[in-house]
Amino acid sequence: MRFLWISLFWTALAGWAVEPHWSYAPLREVPVPGGDPASGRALRPVDAFIRDRVKAQGLKPAPEADRSTLLRRIHWDLTGLPPSPEDQRRFLADPSPEAYEQEIDRLLASPRYGERWARHWMDAVHFAETHGHDQDRIREQAWPYRDYLVEAFNSDLPYGRFIEEQVAGDVLYPQRPAATVALGMLAAGPWDESSLRDIREDTLDRQLGRYIDRDDMIGTVLSVFNSTTVQCARCHDHKFDPIPQVDYYALQAVFSGVERAHRVFDRDPSVHVRRQALMRERRQLERGDPALLASPRVLAEVRQWVAQRGPKPAAWVPWDAHTFLSSGAATLERLPDGSYRAGGTRPERDAYTLTRAAGGRPLRAVRLELLPDPALPHQGPGRNPENGNLHLSEIELWVSSVGSNTPRKLRWSRATSSFDQEGWTAAHAIDGQEKTAWGIHPREGQAHRAIFELAEPLRPAPGDQWSLVLRQSHGGAHLIGRFRVSMTDAPGHDSRILPPEIEALLGRKDRGRTPDEQRRLAVFVVRERLREQLASLPEPSRVYAAASDFEPDGSLKPSPYPRVIHRLNRGEITQPRETVEPGALGFIEALPARFSVPPDAEEGARRAALARWLSHRDNPLTWRSIVNRVWLLHFGRGLVTTPNDFGRMGAAPSHPELLDWLAVWFRDEAGGSLKALHRLLLTSATYRQSSRNEGAAADPENRWLGRMNRIRLDAESVRDGMLWINGRLDLRMGGPGDRQFDLKPGIHVTPRVDYSRFDSDAPEGRRRSVYRFLFRTLPDPWMEALDCPAGDQLVPARENSVTLQQALALWNHEFSIRQAAHWAQALEARKAGAEIPWDDAVHWVWGRPPSPSERQELEEYARRHGLANACRLLLNSNEFLFVP
Amino acid sequence: MGPGVSRREFVHRLGAGFGSVALGQLLARDRVDRLDPAAIGHQPHLRPRARRVIQLFMNGGASQMDLFDHKPELFRRAGQPFDPGSGVRVEAPTSEPGKVLKPPFPLRQHGQSGRWVSDLMPQLARCVDDLAFLMAMKSRTNVHGPASYLMNTGSLLPGFPAFGAWVGYALGSEADNLPAFVVLPDAKGLPYNQRGNFSAGFLPVAHQGTLVQAGSPSPMAFLRPPESAAFVTPEASREGLSLVQRWNRRHLEAHDADPRLEARIQAYELAARMQLSAPEAFDLAAESPVTRRLYGLERPESEDFGRRCLMARRLVERGVRFVQVWSGAGGPTGNWDNHANIAKELPPMCAATDQPIAGLLQDLRARGLLEDTLVLWNTEFGRMPFAQSSEGRDHNGGTFVGWMAGAGVRPGVAHGQSDEWSWKVAHDVTTTYDFHATALHLLGLDHERLKVLHLGADRRLTDVHGEVIRAVLA
Repeated sequence: MRFLWISLFWTALAGWAVEPHWSYAPLREVPVPGGDPASGRALRPVDAFIRDRVKAQGLKPAPEADRSTLLRRIHWDLTGLPPSPEDQRRFLADPSPEAYEQEIDRLLASPRYGERWARHWMDAVHFAETHGHDQDRIREQAWPYRDYLVEAFNSDLPYGRFIEEQVAGDVLYPQRPAATVALGMLAAGPWDESSLRDIREDTLDRQLGRYIDRDDMIGTVLSVFNSTTVQCARCHDHKFDPIPQVDYYALQAVFSGVERAHRVFDRDPSVHVRRQALMRERRQLERGDPALLASPRVLAEVRQWVAQRGPKPAAWVPWDAHTFLSSGAATLERLPDGSYRAGGTRPERDAYTLTRAAGGRPLRAVRLELLPDPALPHQGPGRNPENGNLHLSEIELWVSSVGSNTPRKLRWSRATSSFDQEGWTAAHAIDGQEKTAWGIHPREGQAHRAIFELAEPLRPAPGDQWSLVLRQSHGGAHLIGRFRVSMTDAPGHDSRILPPEIEALLGRKDRGRTPDEQRRLAVFVVRERLREQLASLPEPSRVYAAASDFEPDGSLKPSPYPRVIHRLNRGEITQPRETVEPGALGFIEALPARFSVPPDAEEGARRAALARWLSHRDNPLTWRSIVNRVWLLHFGRGLVTTPNDFGRMGAAPSHPELLDWLAVWFRDEAGGSLKALHRLLLTSATYRQSSRNEGAAADPENRWLGRMNRIRLDAESVRDGMLWINGRLDLRMGGPGDRQFDLKPGIHVTPRVDYSRFDSDAPEGRRRSVYRFLFRTLPDPWMEALDCPAGDQLVPARENSVTLQQALALWNHEFSIRQAAHWAQALEARKAGAEIPWDDAVHWVWGRPPSPSERQELEEYARRHGLANACRLLLNSNEFLFVP
Repeated sequence: MGPGVSRREFVHRLGAGFGSVALGQLLARDRVDRLDPAAIGHQPHLRPRARRVIQLFMNGGASQMDLFDHKPELFRRAGQPFDPGSGVRVEAPTSEPGKVLKPPFPLRQHGQSGRWVSDLMPQLARCVDDLAFLMAMKSRTNVHGPASYLMNTGSLLPGFPAFGAWVGYALGSEADNLPAFVVLPDAKGLPYNQRGNFSAGFLPVAHQGTLVQAGSPSPMAFLRPPESAAFVTPEASREGLSLVQRWNRRHLEAHDADPRLEARIQAYELAARMQLSAPEAFDLAAESPVTRRLYGLERPESEDFGRRCLMARRLVERGVRFVQVWSGAGGPTGNWDNHANIAKELPPMCAATDQPIAGLLQDLRARGLLEDTLVLWNTEFGRMPFAQSSEGRDHNGGTFVGWMAGAGVRPGVAHGQSDEWSWKVAHDVTTTYDFHATALHLLGLDHERLKVLHLGADRRLTDVHGEVIRAVLA
């Protein structure tokens, strides 16, 4: 025994040194084994390879399955739904030898195909719509990625392109908005909000959290596209595969510039391109990139801006109100300097309205001055008794015209101020949200001012009344104490409040500014311009995806540069070693192990390099991996039974020649078309075999495919199938996920989710299961009982379990029982005379009409217990759950 | 399970979830004894001392120095800046480190063993000579999500099998009408990570923790049809089941011997039986008033936790392998995550659990169950010796306390020590891996041999770490 071990060890070692492991070796052009002379016709390549091994094992291939079985098989397989009795009649009556192929084409062209296969991909990349972990927050915009998948499968996006879009679509296909949505893959997995957003930035826990988070991205990408278990090299060189630890950290460096966040995109490609260009410029600006700031274009822009600002400040005219009122019953007193002081009652909230006749000139901006006053608490300018602060929630300008009963509200374009309390800026007073406001803490006791510019100049018309409303809705008597309002017709660049340092720089000639001052001026001018340009674009869409440019959320902020990655000795955050540059795995000799990405390049360049490395024709893992995945999903068993691990610890291929032949064929002849691959496999004699065969006992695991495997329907198929059979399936596609649970706020972040309180007859309960909202730490128990994964791990192939929980769920769960009742109703409605259409009913679930004795059993049972109970039995039968 | 799984492997997989004994008898009466333990790896590796586990999990990070880890230094230096000296960086995950905070309630020594226990746990204090304390446990993180995963699944990441799932996988259930791994969550809600803390991970789904809602009229999901479905009468179900089974058997005969087809038939049989027998296990009505008082059921503050401790005893009595009883739901309050004010937030948690835990230990002993039942008291990490704001404490994975009792545990010992502050472990450390290795050892399982190949590596509850803590073994 010991001798055997030693010799095995040396064989393995020698094998490693001499010949690469099968999966790392370049793809080979494999000759197809000769045709079967007995059959008198050449076999299709897939069958030639399979039959060759079947024969070599002394087995005999199973006969072809009957046509209704074949029909049932391809319908479930390609669309996740059963054929209807009409489909069966049509198909069985079609004498054409092409009928089967045509049916496959019809199914591949159906949108149901993309829905079915998108769900397989969602399993593979552990997609769910909440973060997981202890703060299992909902990701409101994760679903666009699911829709992307449905569309990608339906449009048969070539596989290489499909890879590239999901890793770096934003960089490689910037013209195509969907390619940015594809980045949802990188963010599909769980995310630890506590570690990455809420705890302190300066802790080791935060750093550790980032490495662990990227570990999930790396693991997802390399497992899914390359069937490689690279995470095993996090703490040390891979024990079994030739992956040094440093390669793992090179992959960390590929993703060190992205976080998981809601990322903006535009469905209109022209807007998308425009916004992305502006955002790129903004990133350049925030990085202080001299290529932008010292460019002739920007220098000219600054000169022009300075010239436009002009030497003369805007002329301000007092807002002479004829009526001024407090909604909170405070008194507003007009003082000689034209200002107002609030006194008397001090309500929690208030709104001041100051109405005047339209002026003689157009109105472009309003200025609000807040003034200190000894009569106010802490000298004001607010009325808050604690500190003299105030909160201006919203400022509104209304126009009422003679002959019109409804006043018109005007739109502001910009607010600037002399000082903003942190998080309470003047812009918050024009954002339409009462919750946000302008405040001036801690600079109470001083004067402040804000200027609000109108989006369009307001032209005066005779008899018009202009009303200014100052809403102070914060509560706690955060009210304005003393203020003055004036107006101007000067254009924005003359009236706007500039930061004092910019104002000071304007006073000087170009040559009077130091290079640093010139740069600061440029930053200001370009930032203002970009803000205006971005604000002028339509409201963007968002997708939860890998992102390097997103709205900060607490301490989760985009990093202007990719973060520096260190190799961590033993994977310990406390033992950082040398820095590592971006790259991939060194063992694929045809491709470079490190990416030559310029150091100042944006992070996207790193992902783009990895995307190209993955989609490269000379990456043998990529092509072997995908054909094996598709094979597995059709046949119930992969040519390699460990679809995410083609390494030494994984299984060896049962048919290595076939695997390579398929990989090369798929890459070259099919051009990466998955639909072509489905067609190839489904038309093979191997797939068309019966699942029954005399010699089954000789190959219990059916490794050699001398018969077809019997497939148990997966959770989605069972659920959708029930709704399809009873006619209640709603085929509307896409959009936000259907929340098939009762949702209430939880104690903290994680909401309370209760599946038992969901009415499965509600509209959200009737679409295809791929559109269900997926809650990571609390998956739907009925679906889970049928092995639907929760999204906390990559699932290349589902469990196919048989458990008591499953029996109980199918037998007793409200959903199953309700569907049986609906089906009974539908059958009643279709009753011809007194006859229940038993043939059709049973056809739906068993793919055949009942035998006379079965029919009698059903009728007898239905007579005693009602049709709904009989339907319940059919939906619980093995013949429904297993496709032969 | 793939279509080609052998019948033997199938028996193993199904059995590990519910009712292995009965299923074994039903499916393969002559096969169970001939299972090759080495090939399957679900027989004990060693002589088991414990046959079952009750784990009491204090969700949120129970404060070790306020409960068990007495540190005179904290009293001496209360209110002073926290300075461990030698320029060591002090960080707290969610706050600025504050001044040294002394425990607001006294700790006293109890029993022969002289273990320190807070006055907040007077009943438990009387049991200290039954317990083995792990005084220097250490986590790898100070954040609830990963720390809870680590204590429950041995991984910082989601997607790994829970401790109870591993035990069920390895040993199966002793009952044919109850799951192997039952979880009794706090009535206020699920803990951090929700069902992630008791998922089967990459083990078959049958091994996941089955949620039982102790206070609910239907404690376990899907045991019976919903009330709304009036047409599903007991007769319709009974006769219907026999008709479905007749079809299924006919279907089976017409197909090759596919173990899954056979298994579904048996699963329905067992399901029907469980519908009748399981509710009895959840029904506390038969328990005497004395027993109910023993578990603190008559007092509102301890009623919920006490009910679940009592149910845990009923479940292990009936053959459940692993019962996890949670104290506290997720979130920053109403559990052991006492950030704001130790003096106000800790006492109610102690009041909720003290009597029930002492009662459970006493009851198990009286029934002879403590002989072969392992009782574990755990939390995901400890708390800081210095204040958060002024009266609370932040998370601290640096050191914390857990204890074990019952089967195979050496009573009255304390293993390990934290530093003078109870800030970090000092010596005789128990990592979370060591803890799991020790508990598995007591169950007769070698933590290095209990493994499953998943994604390129042999995955274990203890990852590549873990040493059995011999000092707490009897």
